[in-house]
Amino acid sequence: MRVGVFICHCGNNIAGTIDVARVAEETRKIPGVVYATTYMYTCSEPGQEEIKEAIKREGLDRVVVAACSPRMHEMTFRRTVEKAGLNRYFFEMANIREHISWVGEDKEFNTRKAIDVVRMAVAKVMQNRPLFSSSFKINKRVLVMGGGVAGMQAALDCADGGLEVVIVEKSQSIGGMMARLDKTFPTIDCSICILGPKMVDVAQHEKIKLYAYSEIDEIKGYVGNYQVKIRKKATYVDWSKCTGCGACMEKCPSKNAYDYFNFGVAPTKAINIPFPQAIPKKAKIDPNYCRQFTKGKCGVCAKICPTKAIDYEMKDEIITEEVGAIIVATGYSLIDMDMLPEYGGGRYPDVISGIQYERLLNASGPTAGHIERPSDHEEPKTIVFVSCAGSRDKSIGIPYCSNFCCMYIAKQAILTKDHISDSQSYVFYMDIRSPGKGYDEFTRRAQEEYGVHYIRGRVSRIYPKGKKLVVRGADTLLGTQVEIEADLVVLATAVISNKDAAYMAEKLHISYDTFGFYVESHPKLRPVETNTSGVFLAGACQGPKDIPASVGQGSAAASKILALFSGETLESDPAVARVNINACVGCLKCVKTCPFGAIKEKELRDGRVVADVIETVCAGCGVCTSTCPCGAIQLQHFTDNQILAEVNALCLI
Amino acid sequence: MSDIAPKELKIVGFLCNWCSYGGADTAGVSRFKQPPDLRIIRVPCSGRIDPLFVVKALLNGADGVLVSGCHPRDCHYSDGNFYARRRLEMLKRLLPFLGIDDKRFHYTWISASEGQRWQQTVTAFVKRIHELGPLNLKEEKQS
Amino acid sequence: MTVEKLKETVLDTLKDVELVMGYQMGFDALHATPLFIRKKEDAERLIWNPLCVHNLTTYLPSLKKSRVGVVVKGCDSRTIIQFLQEGLITRENVTIIGIPCQGIISVRKVLKEIEYEPVEEVSFNSDSMTIKTLKGSKTLKIEDVWPDKCITCKYPTPLIYDYLIGEPVSFDRGVEVSQVIKELEGKSLNERLAYWQKEFDRCIRCYACRNACPLCVCQDSCIAETREPHWISQRLTLNEKFMFHMIHALHLAGRCVECGECARVCPMDIPVNILKKKINLDMKELFGYVPGVNAEDKPPMYTFNVDEVNIKEHGI
Repeated sequence: MRVGVFICHCGNNIAGTIDVARVAEETRKIPGVVYATTYMYTCSEPGQEEIKEAIKREGLDRVVVAACSPRMHEMTFRRTVEKAGLNRYFFEMANIREHISWVGEDKEFNTRKAIDVVRMAVAKVMQNRPLFSSSFKINKRVLVMGGGVAGMQAALDCADGGLEVVIVEKSQSIGGMMARLDKTFPTIDCSICILGPKMVDVAQHEKIKLYAYSEIDEIKGYVGNYQVKIRKKATYVDWSKCTGCGACMEKCPSKNAYDYFNFGVAPTKAINIPFPQAIPKKAKIDPNYCRQFTKGKCGVCAKICPTKAIDYEMKDEIITEEVGAIIVATGYSLIDMDMLPEYGGGRYPDVISGIQYERLLNASGPTAGHIERPSDHEEPKTIVFVSCAGSRDKSIGIPYCSNFCCMYIAKQAILTKDHISDSQSYVFYMDIRSPGKGYDEFTRRAQEEYGVHYIRGRVSRIYPKGKKLVVRGADTLLGTQVEIEADLVVLATAVISNKDAAYMAEKLHISYDTFGFYVESHPKLRPVETNTSGVFLAGACQGPKDIPASVGQGSAAASKILALFSGETLESDPAVARVNINACVGCLKCVKTCPFGAIKEKELRDGRVVADVIETVCAGCGVCTSTCPCGAIQLQHFTDNQILAEVNALCLI
Repeated sequence: MSDIAPKELKIVGFLCNWCSYGGADTAGVSRFKQPPDLRIIRVPCSGRIDPLFVVKALLNGADGVLVSGCHPRDCHYSDGNFYARRRLEMLKRLLPFLGIDDKRFHYTWISASEGQRWQQTVTAFVKRIHELGPLNLKEEKQS
Repeated sequence: MTVEKLKETVLDTLKDVELVMGYQMGFDALHATPLFIRKKEDAERLIWNPLCVHNLTTYLPSLKKSRVGVVVKGCDSRTIIQFLQEGLITRENVTIIGIPCQGIISVRKVLKEIEYEPVEEVSFNSDSMTIKTLKGSKTLKIEDVWPDKCITCKYPTPLIYDYLIGEPVSFDRGVEVSQVIKELEGKSLNERLAYWQKEFDRCIRCYACRNACPLCVCQDSCIAETREPHWISQRLTLNEKFMFHMIHALHLAGRCVECGECARVCPMDIPVNILKKKINLDMKELFGYVPGVNAEDKPPMYTFNVDEVNIKEHGI
């Protein structure tokens, strides 16, 4: 066996705290190693060329690169050795950057650790076996979870690229948060006017199938072949009959239903269509408020409905769709006002959230676009906006910035002046974050042209005084306390992940961070991929982001899938479990523990029963290998012998 | 190497690829400083870890073994760490019966985003192994 | 009386099966040995007494496809239940002839009592045995020469059977934990390590413990002897022996029915069963699981709960 070891300087990233020359020198002493060298940037083109040349020149049959994390460049170098004629699994990476040079301060210790880690990688690579992928057919359909602007964009791009798309939206209509906005910054476009046509496109696209008011019950399978169980929740209205005429909503006697679409700014009817542009424009009954459900009698809507669409007996329906890839665009939530007691959140009716204010501004909102105080419906003259209401606040577990509040506060302040010309707006802010194109100019306009008074400082307390609310805070630029008597206070409540974000992540087998936002495959270079092949991210489910960023991600995720589906087949990962039928005693404990049902029993011609792996179903976790007492089922590339080689290389020296 | 007096102890880490190995990478990217003793072996899933690997490492001369996987419910392979939890707990309870301090073996759950938690875990574990000193199971007589 | 009833039942069983396994006298009066009954005449040699120590169920998995009968004690019956949990035998193919057991003897303990003199004759009374040697005869209370497993026995009457020979018995000495385990737990870590190193150092790697173990399903595929995978070498070092016993113990985790065969057959008198008994105590505490008691149970290492109520996260 002829092992070549390539130790990367990574500029100064590695060579700064590891004596790479000494690592190379010590590496040459390892039995099996015939060549060891260092290189400034091994991942660069000349660096890869050097590997390829050395493979030929030195007759190498195994390669180890000691550089960054294999999560970063394992694929890069596998391709490199493959181009030089080696099987791509005759390659191992020793992580001497993320795990050593970046975390250890002492060069001597780091160097010794690097030598050990290289020795382990050499030991493993000498145990490696050539592995070969097989190809499998893919189902070129796409599931888009979430019908907000990111999901819609992703769905439209996939569909325009010729793929069939299934959208599952948990609420009654697509449109998401953007459909609730009045205008968008920094152009003051009417939000629904630019979103509405897209919603119609989604509804009318022949390649797109929309399941509104539906949820994902179960996801099974793997990239190219997923089976998804979708729960169509009971709406108690037969949507194949409902024309969206709205007669039921007009006559419904239950007038105090919570309006989810309007964030409870005003009540709605128990049977309702959430907003005029809703897609699909169909009515739904809220059984928590409907008298037929709460009191057992009413039936007004059933009587009035011209198409007899009302069905009080309706049950949830489960539908199975088969897809090959999934785009997760499930969006975000906002913190409850109750979490901000110092601002009177949830206690004073005239302290409202930014999204509620958005509905007050909106011409199709509950007040038809008239700004009025929730308490007495009077027009407010003094309005105070509080930014970072929850955001950047470690004490409530939200240390991050909610990304778009600075901008929408500026927008809302501008719109306020447009609506009520004799009004005065104040904005309490920590920093004005406006790094987008045209964004900073926009916040300046709010201050300079619209006379919005920006106060740098945090609000300490809000309390009622007569009909007014006293907002007390610090002006850190002037170094004084300020008190403003406001008619209305708008809190820019923090963006948080959806309540069921973790639950969905578990179904999808993707990672999420401490805050419930989904984790992308690489923060810079793989922003819409996840670590689960075939699952992609778009929009604010990955972290707070504004409309253009969400749309961009939607398109990016779609383009990734169009590339993934550009052929008829995909290559399988050959690092799956394999059974040595001579050693297998047929106890079938592996069948019991396999999380994927990828192992079945097989009877050999001599009548012996052994385990058999279904390669396309095996995901490569290796639970079977650690279950098997006789070592007969081995996860390829992570066999007992490969791991033992690493253990021994480290311990037995 | 043998010509340098070793100040570090031998600690083996078995990390699942998807969460904890990523968490260790995150710690690296964030430059969270850690003691130098730990050597990491990457496995696809904590469910791949046969408790016998831990025993083997200890018998072969490791002074401590650290195992880390995805948090329960977050396993990339859905159930792997549930099996790992049972197996590793079983081992943890057996070790002291054999006369090996179970403080030398720690298993935990660290996600790919928890670089700081990784740093804290490594730092605390290495400190504990240093307090316990070398295990020295490797020295053996040929019989 | 029991033997006559037993013979009758065996002969009855033999009508439906190819083979019935029971006990016969061995090479001397102190040893019984397994009897494989294929013909009517074979049954004449059947015996039943406290010398019938072997766990005959060991043979069942290799006979999975045949119809067989087997004579079992309470402890042996747990093996059958464990086999059923693990799907290693087919219930319909096995006819179980259970015998309530008052405890068997440890040949090793008896030999020690008679100072390893050759045995001429052995006779049993209700709760004692008399052994005649060249140097005279000695009467021992059977419970004084019980093997470890009888002391902690909770199931003297078979838990599963098709025929029961005799009336169910119950005894429970209230001993939950073996004396060896209690003693070890009272020692320091260093003393425990020294204990095991001393015990394992005697191991000659004959693999008798493994071969006698009914639940060592691997048999010829045992990783103690393979290079693929190569867990241990063939060197006779303490660590390799230690590792072998760890493999044996961990592979039996949550499966060992405590039949004690491993310890019984060990020519070096290593208490190999103790590690497994210790793990069983943990299995009971962690998962409320006792191996070989209920055929519907799942061995705890092959299943999980999403929330493990008894496993707490460990701090550092």
